[in-house]
Amino acid sequence: MENINLTPEESFNIINKAIANFKLNYRETAKVFLLWGWVLAIASFSNFIILKILYSREALGLMGLLSLCNWALFLLIGFIIMFFMERKSNKDKKVFSYLESYFKNLWTVTAASFIIATFICIKLEINPPPIMLLIAGIATTTSGLLIKYRPVIVGGMAFFIFSLAATFVSNEYISLIVFAAIICGYLIPGYSLKSAKA
Amino acid sequence: MYNDLDPLLHSQLRLAIVSMLIHSEKVEFTHIKEETKAAAGNISIQIKNLQEAGYIKVEKTFKNNYPKTFVSITDKGVKAFESYVNDLKKYINPKK
Repeated sequence: MENINLTPEESFNIINKAIANFKLNYRETAKVFLLWGWVLAIASFSNFIILKILYSREALGLMGLLSLCNWALFLLIGFIIMFFMERKSNKDKKVFSYLESYFKNLWTVTAASFIIATFICIKLEINPPPIMLLIAGIATTTSGLLIKYRPVIVGGMAFFIFSLAATFVSNEYISLIVFAAIICGYLIPGYSLKSAKA
Repeated sequence: MYNDLDPLLHSQLRLAIVSMLIHSEKVEFTHIKEETKAAAGNISIQIKNLQEAGYIKVEKTFKNNYPKTFVSITDKGVKAFESYVNDLKKYINPKK
């Protein structure tokens, strides 16, 4: 690239090319959506099976504890995979974008909100999923608005609808609502992002 | 003809570098080289010019015993880029 006299149009082309190349990095986000999409989808479905079995055996006293252990196990698996994914991606990283930084801060605050909300729900004896789905909806919709990507915005809004729906169903079926919410809110937007041409 | 445009940014390579930095906290030197396909020596000279004007910052680090050079844009650089883009718009659409 030589330093030659530029016309304004050529200058705009250089700027547009830099912006177009930057947009390709949006697809990196898909990996995180797909990781948590699959981890949480399996967690919610296994939670449904656990609750169904406990209901059929009338072991209602164990439901809370086993459900909590199931979620904790899958969250731990998710965080371990996420840790190694981040380490691998940072190893040869050449561009540290503002967008990635916003995402990291947004989802760190969201993770903290999930933990605090869990304690609040246990203390107040409220079923956590409606609150959790609401928090997930806020973070996902905000993420979609940040990258201006409609499927992620719609996925985030789906969380709001499922959050309301979760208040109308009985205990074990809430897990199925969460399962559906994860598919609509994380997996579908995740695969859409993965195949996006930016 | 284009005297009002910032001469420091009105250069193919320097503009490409600053356009790349505008969306990022920092970018590694090798990435700039890959994207612009310019010679390392030429990029170094342009980065030095931009650094002397206060438009960018250069940070040298080591990772696994290999030197890494990261470049980031300053507030002054962002303002200069914004005013350069506004001036460009006036040339393309003089009526606006």
